[in-house]
Amino acid sequence: MNFPENLRYTKTHEWIAVQGAKAKVGVTEYAQKEISDVVFVELPKAGQAVQQAKMAAVVESVKAAFDIYAPVSGKITDANKALEANPGLINQSPYADGWIFELEISNPAEVNTLMTAAQYHEAVQQAPKH
Amino acid sequence: MALTTEPTKLPLHEEHLRKGARMGDFGGWLVPLFYTSIMEEHTAVRTQAGIFDISHMGEFIVEGPGALAYLEKNLPRRITPMKFSQAIYMPLVNDRGGMVDDIIVYRMQEQKFLIIVNAGNIEKDFAWFKARVTQGVTLTNLSDEMGLLALQGPLSQTILLECFGAFYKDLRRFHYKDFEGGVIARTGYTGEDGYEIMVPKAKLKQVWDVLFRVGAKHGLLPIGFGARDTLRLEAAMPLYGHELTDEITPLEADLEWAIDLTKDEFPGSAILKKQKQTGIQKKRAGFEMTERGIPRQGFEIQKNGKATGAVTSGSFIPTTGKNIGMAYVTASEAKTGNAIDVMVRGKPVKAVIVPLPFYKRR
Repeated sequence: MNFPENLRYTKTHEWIAVQGAKAKVGVTEYAQKEISDVVFVELPKAGQAVQQAKMAAVVESVKAAFDIYAPVSGKITDANKALEANPGLINQSPYADGWIFELEISNPAEVNTLMTAAQYHEAVQQAPKH
Repeated sequence: MALTTEPTKLPLHEEHLRKGARMGDFGGWLVPLFYTSIMEEHTAVRTQAGIFDISHMGEFIVEGPGALAYLEKNLPRRITPMKFSQAIYMPLVNDRGGMVDDIIVYRMQEQKFLIIVNAGNIEKDFAWFKARVTQGVTLTNLSDEMGLLALQGPLSQTILLECFGAFYKDLRRFHYKDFEGGVIARTGYTGEDGYEIMVPKAKLKQVWDVLFRVGAKHGLLPIGFGARDTLRLEAAMPLYGHELTDEITPLEADLEWAIDLTKDEFPGSAILKKQKQTGIQKKRAGFEMTERGIPRQGFEIQKNGKATGAVTSGSFIPTTGKNIGMAYVTASEAKTGNAIDVMVRGKPVKAVIVPLPFYKRR
């Protein structure tokens, strides 16, 4: 499975791509496989404040709804509207076209609390197998 | 004290893993949730054919010189007119008029019946039947000995006949024929044509293999419990624990067709007859979301800002792309075309009552 080196990861399977004061957020390849076919996404609104490890969006498969947590605290600056018409982008392209929202980071120190690709890879390998 | 128990494995557990199944818990059973994707599997059953391993379900045998009288006294439909090749569906009704389970009764001989019950209710149902046993009735729980596969979809007859021969050609809906120490019945839980094949566990893998060997060229796929749920929801078939509970009556569940209020007394019959006269307060209804949002079990239903019911099942439907659900709503609000709100994560999302079923095969 692919976990790009330039991203940071949460134990709840979000990724964050930091670009200066802003960052894009999505779910990992592992998460999209676990969720399976994504059929609905509820996006946050621009201007909305989010807190680290608190719910910021919802991704639903046929069977269930999954809360998406903000990897770091901040203010939403954009959301991927393409997901409303085509939620399957999360499955097809979890790290690019399937990004979920963008935020302005309020506390850059929080980024350092997140896992590196190597750490996340290890965490995923230890996850219980079905 | 919290005792955690390992979910029970299906007899074909290894076969499911070999076919790439994602396994998950379903009422204490470790079952395939999907193999490739719910979307693909749902579509396969609507357009070609699929196999479901439903060996978790329970099977009881009721036999002996008192068997017929015993079932006639305790079940809500007439058993005496049943032919020896026939199967009928009905709820099992408790003394309060609520539903213990929904079951299928097969008449095997004059005084011998097979009853198929939901997996999660095996112990409860067995206790219910046992508590009512009278002289000349032997009740046996075969659940651990039998395996059950469902072959469903428009091509299921083609596949079945190619596998097991023309002997099964004239098998009609809700009828069965003997098969390898078990039965093949023309029944199912998907809204499509199809069969349920019950055989002793030891023969299950052989049947599974034959079906796949022959079915491959017809597009036959293994189907997980994810698609089983979307298929039955689209066909508006109630599921125990969702649309059916010990507190809901068959009249509220729109299952009056599956009970007979003109027959002699059965558990709950007096209450049901009274409810038939006075009318029901709440009713099972279908709805379709008209705004973006997927309804899920437990979501409140509102009309003009006031609670009027709750969702019992809801899902995105792969073949139509619609978000649909079933709910219990105040009877007066259950009219087709009525605009309602479903409370999705605390926010009202618009929906409209539609007739059931959502899907009917051509």
